[in-house]
Amino acid sequence: MFVSSYRVTQFAFQNFWRNFWLSLITVSMLLLTLVTINILLVLNVITDRAIALVEDRIEVSVYFYDYTEDTTVSAAVAYLRGLSEVRDVATVSATEAYDQFVARHQNDEQIMASLEELGQNPFGPSLIVKAHTPEDFTQIIDALDNPQFRDFIREKDFSDYQNIVERIRSTTDRIRAFGIALAVVFLLIAILIVFNTVRIGIFIHREEIGIMRLVGASNWFIKAPFLLEMILLSLMAVGLTALIVFPTVAVIEPQLSVYFGAESAGLVDYFVQNGLLIFGGQFLALVLVTLFSTGLAMRKYLKV
Amino acid sequence: MIRFKNVTKLYPPNVVGVQGVSLHVKPGEFVSIVGKSGTGKSTLAKLLFAEERPTRGVIEIGGWDITNINDSDVPLLRRQIGVVFQDFKLLQKKTVYENVAFALQVAGERPHRIREVVPKVLEIVNLDNKLDRYPRQLSGGEQQRVAIGRALVHSPKILIADEPTGNLDTLNSREIMDLLSKINEFGTTIVLVTHDRDMVNRLRRRVITLEDGKIVSDVEEGRYKL
Repeated sequence: MFVSSYRVTQFAFQNFWRNFWLSLITVSMLLLTLVTINILLVLNVITDRAIALVEDRIEVSVYFYDYTEDTTVSAAVAYLRGLSEVRDVATVSATEAYDQFVARHQNDEQIMASLEELGQNPFGPSLIVKAHTPEDFTQIIDALDNPQFRDFIREKDFSDYQNIVERIRSTTDRIRAFGIALAVVFLLIAILIVFNTVRIGIFIHREEIGIMRLVGASNWFIKAPFLLEMILLSLMAVGLTALIVFPTVAVIEPQLSVYFGAESAGLVDYFVQNGLLIFGGQFLALVLVTLFSTGLAMRKYLKV
Repeated sequence: MIRFKNVTKLYPPNVVGVQGVSLHVKPGEFVSIVGKSGTGKSTLAKLLFAEERPTRGVIEIGGWDITNINDSDVPLLRRQIGVVFQDFKLLQKKTVYENVAFALQVAGERPHRIREVVPKVLEIVNLDNKLDRYPRQLSGGEQQRVAIGRALVHSPKILIADEPTGNLDTLNSREIMDLLSKINEFGTTIVLVTHDRDMVNRLRRRVITLEDGKIVSDVEEGRYKL
């Protein structure tokens, strides 16, 4: 068995070298498919990160009328904290709201003059409510319709953030759909090229195959070199993809800091932590696809 | 050793390869199958090494019913049957030694066994002094001897020679026939498919004559009659 496996490997390498240019084209096409898939993966990581970042900042601001008593605000806080959807509730008192407003607009003389003209604090207390997931906000908003608090609440504001998330999602979904279509096209081309590579390999080796059959080589021995060759090509394509992907994400990660601020996009970390799973998975999937294509070609052209 | 029971081989749509052939070849026999072109000689040979399956009838080799042999069992059969052809079927990029060794390599034989067997076989076919030559550097007769050597590496019980002298001149043909006789003397059953009248008459062994896919004569120490 060991001797046969060694010879099968030897024949597989022979096929590769005798068919070098075709092998190169096959690897290139497989590489192109995998790079497209990895671009989609990068896009996925960036999108998830961006959405997580935005979602983390999503909060419902609940503004009370300035006549609202502190006891009502405290009761609202206690009520909200009792909801399973609520992650955190922060209270901004009327005075704090005033101070924050002043700090924000201290250089705007017009605003400051208007504020002074009012002669009193126009702000009421407010609550900043954070939820576990964006989907929870609808329930939180509904909960605030409780008759106990409804009449004291001037405004509930969170719709802008939802818009941003939806815009990110719809843009990335469109890019993703295009990427998936592109990957599928590349994959189909790759399957055809693998099919053709095997077909030509069989044609080139037809004499040897005929003699192998004649002298009693097993069907496995005749077929295995073609299958192994395709596994080798898949391995090369995955190896080259990893060689391209790692430096590329390392280069683009700093560029993304413009959008993510102090926080990293986490691309390199993602690929380092999941590299084995990502490239191992891609290798297995590619092997399945190439073996399927090789099987078809052998079934059609290799009569053993 | 070989038994055909009422074997018929039809090719689509309705071409007769062989029809109702029954024969028995005993171990160690040297049988020539003769006939004009298209009378089913090669079909008979192909049925023997399972290149073709019969449409009807039963074929047994050494007691093994190969009538409906599984594809996975064909290699096992072919390691017990040596086959040589008119066109030698040698690999041009391999030397004499490599061509013969190839048959053992693809059957999974260990290297030390190959180093042991190949020189012995090449000695039998008298090519032990041309191990490193390529087929193009050999005469037709020598190339056929390489093919015979390759067919012998598995020590087959049966050697099928399908027109082995078809591409050779008289001198080389005689050498090949002498070699086949020598191999037969060692106990290997030889089935020779030929239309070479001189060679068959010179052999003076059993001759089976085919006509239109049917056996029309089967004579011990026969002659080529057609």
